[in-house]
Amino acid sequence: MKNFSNLKGVNDKILKIKQLLLELEAEATQFPALEKNSKRALASIKMLELNISDIVVFDLADS
Amino acid sequence: MNPQEYWNPVLETMPREKLKILQFKKFKRILNWAYTRSKFHRALYDTAGLTPDDICSFDDIKKIPKVEKSMMRGIQNKDPFPYGDALCVPLEEVSTFRQTSGTTGQPVYQPDTWQDWEWWSECWSFILWAQGYRPRDRVFIPFGYNIFVAFWAGHYAAEKLGCEVVPGGVLDTQSRILKIKELNATAMMATPTYILRMADVAKNKMGIDPSLLSINKITCAGEPGAGIPSTKKRMEDAWGAKVYDHSGATEIGAWSYECSKQPCGMHVNEAMFLVEIEDLNTGEIIEEAGRKGKMIITALDRMAQPCIRFDSKDVIEWDPEPCSCGRSFRLIKGGVIGRSDDITKVKGVLLSPAAIEEVVRSIDGLGNEFEIIVDKQGDVDRIKLKVELLPGVTRLSIENILKDQLRLKTNLGYLIEFYDYGSLPRYEVKAKRFKDLRKKNFNEKEERP
Repeated sequence: MKNFSNLKGVNDKILKIKQLLLELEAEATQFPALEKNSKRALASIKMLELNISDIVVFDLADS
Repeated sequence: MNPQEYWNPVLETMPREKLKILQFKKFKRILNWAYTRSKFHRALYDTAGLTPDDICSFDDIKKIPKVEKSMMRGIQNKDPFPYGDALCVPLEEVSTFRQTSGTTGQPVYQPDTWQDWEWWSECWSFILWAQGYRPRDRVFIPFGYNIFVAFWAGHYAAEKLGCEVVPGGVLDTQSRILKIKELNATAMMATPTYILRMADVAKNKMGIDPSLLSINKITCAGEPGAGIPSTKKRMEDAWGAKVYDHSGATEIGAWSYECSKQPCGMHVNEAMFLVEIEDLNTGEIIEEAGRKGKMIITALDRMAQPCIRFDSKDVIEWDPEPCSCGRSFRLIKGGVIGRSDDITKVKGVLLSPAAIEEVVRSIDGLGNEFEIIVDKQGDVDRIKLKVELLPGVTRLSIENILKDQLRLKTNLGYLIEFYDYGSLPRYEVKAKRFKDLRKKNFNEKEERP
């Protein structure tokens, strides 16, 4: 349960993935396969945000 | 506490004071989202003289106007077609259409983006994990995949958990039982009525004892049966499996679930939803356990068409006891107890006496009086409709029209009894035309006209 007590570290990784996917999506003009798959992946990343990032952002993680 | 029992061990065991902060901050976020993107919500709050900035504490939430289902129908008459101006995303972002059953009137359309569908299956993941679904499970879903939301999200969630899903869509009941037997399916999702129906067919038509099949857990939805001890026992005895309850709705999401401890109630997923219970008479918000009221619910993360302080009309009450599973999510005692406006579920479909009244009174040859009696024939729900023929009108000229209209407006079949004009009871003030004999406390004997 290493991640259990290091939610901030997990959140940092989630934000990095999100940033990369947003960049991929922005670069995807005229490239539907890249755009749509990036968008789908971002929807999954949103579920990580709901599960992890909100706890960190709202300052509810155990210190 | 065994962390492996929870889908999210942090959220599901979060101390209640922190959970309340989480709910408040998420409420503010969805309120801001709706206020800035939905004409409907902005107008609703402007009319009340409120902006999101006026909501400064948890107690302020109750200032936000409720949304009634009837309001959603009005919204749909506006652009963009077919959803109307509660839509918070461009139409091209909508990936999935669903609708309510329409038994209380015009169906409500529900748009969801792909992210909303991820959210739906995320909510169901909490449910299925709590009920013991794991990657080794082979999940059979005997559901007619269609425009109704029902078990769609359960399917997606089971896949997300790593289960193997067998969609039992257009198969008939006997074929479904044979497929469960052939594949050694370990879990199943269906309405209580159908779970019992399948058991009956297996045993009495096919000579198969369902308790000897491989199903070890069943998730129910659509009807209150899995929360009714005697019905749950019948299902568990028939299938030799654990039966779990769950509650959700098209406009809301999958908001509550029974855990593996089977505490005679359901946990509200308070990380994803804010549930308030409102006193039916005074409208005050009930905080304490043991008082029944009407559920007002907010889906905290549903984006395309937000669900903010939705008046669900479900009657519930908080359980005073915490669950032994260790979740801090509160329990509602006995699940959803009923509907505040007398709408009930029959064969998994919401039935409104008003919808039947509308049909009966739209047919010229029928009298004003009628009576609806819902009971069970064996384990299957049945609706008896008693109507009166006007003098000179024959049953033959009416019966097919009536049956067709009822099927069209309510999605249900009826046993119709015709009586001579003047035979049914008359009322002076309030009529009692609807009797649900399935309810535990219904003592009134059916009177013959």
